[in-house]
Amino acid sequence: MINFEEELKKFHPSLEVEDAEEAIYNQDITDMADILVKMLQETKTEEK
Amino acid sequence: MRCYNCGCRLSEQDFCTNCGADVTLYKKIMRVSNMYYNEGLEKAGVRDLTGAVTSLRQSLKFNKNNVEARNLLGLVYFEMGEVVAALSEWVISKNLRPQKNIADTYIEMVQSNASRLETINQTIKKYNQALAYCMQDSKDLARIQLKKVLSLNPKFVRAHQLLALLYIDMEQWDKAKRELEKCLKIDAGSTQTLRYLKEVEGMLQPDENSKSPIKRKNDEAVRYQSDNEIIIQPLNVREQKSAGWHTFLYVAIGLVLGVATMYFLILPSSVAAEREKAQEQVRSIGEQLDTKTSTITTMQQQIDSLTEENTKLRTDLEEYVGTDGTLKTVDELLLGAVEYLTTQDAMATASHIENVQEGVNLEDTSDAFKALYQALIDKIGPEVALNYYNTGSDFYDDKDYKQAIDNLTKAVEYDPTNGDAMNVLGNAYRQDGQKENAIACYQKVIELLPGTGRATRAQKYIDELSAE
Repeated sequence: MINFEEELKKFHPSLEVEDAEEAIYNQDITDMADILVKMLQETKTEEK
Repeated sequence: MRCYNCGCRLSEQDFCTNCGADVTLYKKIMRVSNMYYNEGLEKAGVRDLTGAVTSLRQSLKFNKNNVEARNLLGLVYFEMGEVVAALSEWVISKNLRPQKNIADTYIEMVQSNASRLETINQTIKKYNQALAYCMQDSKDLARIQLKKVLSLNPKFVRAHQLLALLYIDMEQWDKAKRELEKCLKIDAGSTQTLRYLKEVEGMLQPDENSKSPIKRKNDEAVRYQSDNEIIIQPLNVREQKSAGWHTFLYVAIGLVLGVATMYFLILPSSVAAEREKAQEQVRSIGEQLDTKTSTITTMQQQIDSLTEENTKLRTDLEEYVGTDGTLKTVDELLLGAVEYLTTQDAMATASHIENVQEGVNLEDTSDAFKALYQALIDKIGPEVALNYYNTGSDFYDDKDYKQAIDNLTKAVEYDPTNGDAMNVLGNAYRQDGQKENAIACYQKVIELLPGTGRATRAQKYIDELSAE
């Protein structure tokens, strides 16, 4: 049986157009490639 | 694919041919990203938009520079009604690849129409408001607000889901089902939608899993609740074997109904059509009649005008023509000529000439008429002028200036060179108080009798009359 209150918690306010700029700036765009490059750089630094 | 270290284009080797960096893991990461992109593309193709979003997000977690994946993610968001999220993805995509990027077109499409952008923003605000109403337990207001949202943006999946949830809470199962079906048409892979739908279908067919309808011989109906009503659907309803007379009765009723339809619906319309056609003909004939009446009126006016003109011409002709058909003026002139030839009486001839003068305009007469008239004037002119001069002078002496003026005027008409007659006429005008006529006569006296005492007096009178 669906619990309305519980289900309602899964809904979040939608971003308004005015908030789009902030959303873009705050988006975490670190990817696996970034992590790999960072790890390789750290490894190289340790070797030195 | 480019080297993460130097940016050089990578070859098939596991190291960069330019800087020698090991790119084995890097290449694997790129491949995984592409794999997720392909998966997302496939899911989007079968409208599993939620699945596509998950795959494309995964793709971007491996390679944030996968512009195609980002553009597709934006497109999927847009399809689900999440316009701001779509715009965010496209803007990032455009920053990553400023040139030759389809995100440009998408952003242009959304931003070029200011009113559309405003509508989108209003839709989002109303959705947020509806969500706030739900939190405050104002479910009716939330439902109204969500309906407005969906009228503005029918593809807003989250709004459909929230509205379905509200219907579920209000136990309006069929309405909830309709909303969820709309959700599925947009996004066929949303687990949330499918879960709600399962719940709703379970409520609409409560006994479906327990017993088959065919086996439940004792059950007469299926009962379920929709809105505030309990729907009772009868089961095992068998059609009665119809008796023969029933069939005939139904056919007869059908025939009666058909005839009635014909009589009450089709016949009046055809009668109305015929009537309209007849009215059209009457209208046409009326118009023709009007035109002919107008022509007759015009022609009648022409007849009246011509009759009037004819009458006038007849009257004019009667004035010119005597009782014996001879023109009066010609007759009068001929009489004058006869008078002169037989009696040599200038005054008697003059009376005929004066009648001619009264009856005709000399300019309109023939050359022969003019010649005869002038010949008679030349013959009798001096004598008649002298007679009138004498008579006029007598009247002047008797101080009857009106009569004097009449006779002296005729005297100067018959003999315009008679300066004495002109002088006395000027005196008569002066005595009668007709200054302008008097001055004109005196001026002629000065012209006809220059250097004489009369001319000097005439000039004196002119000066006196001008000075008054």
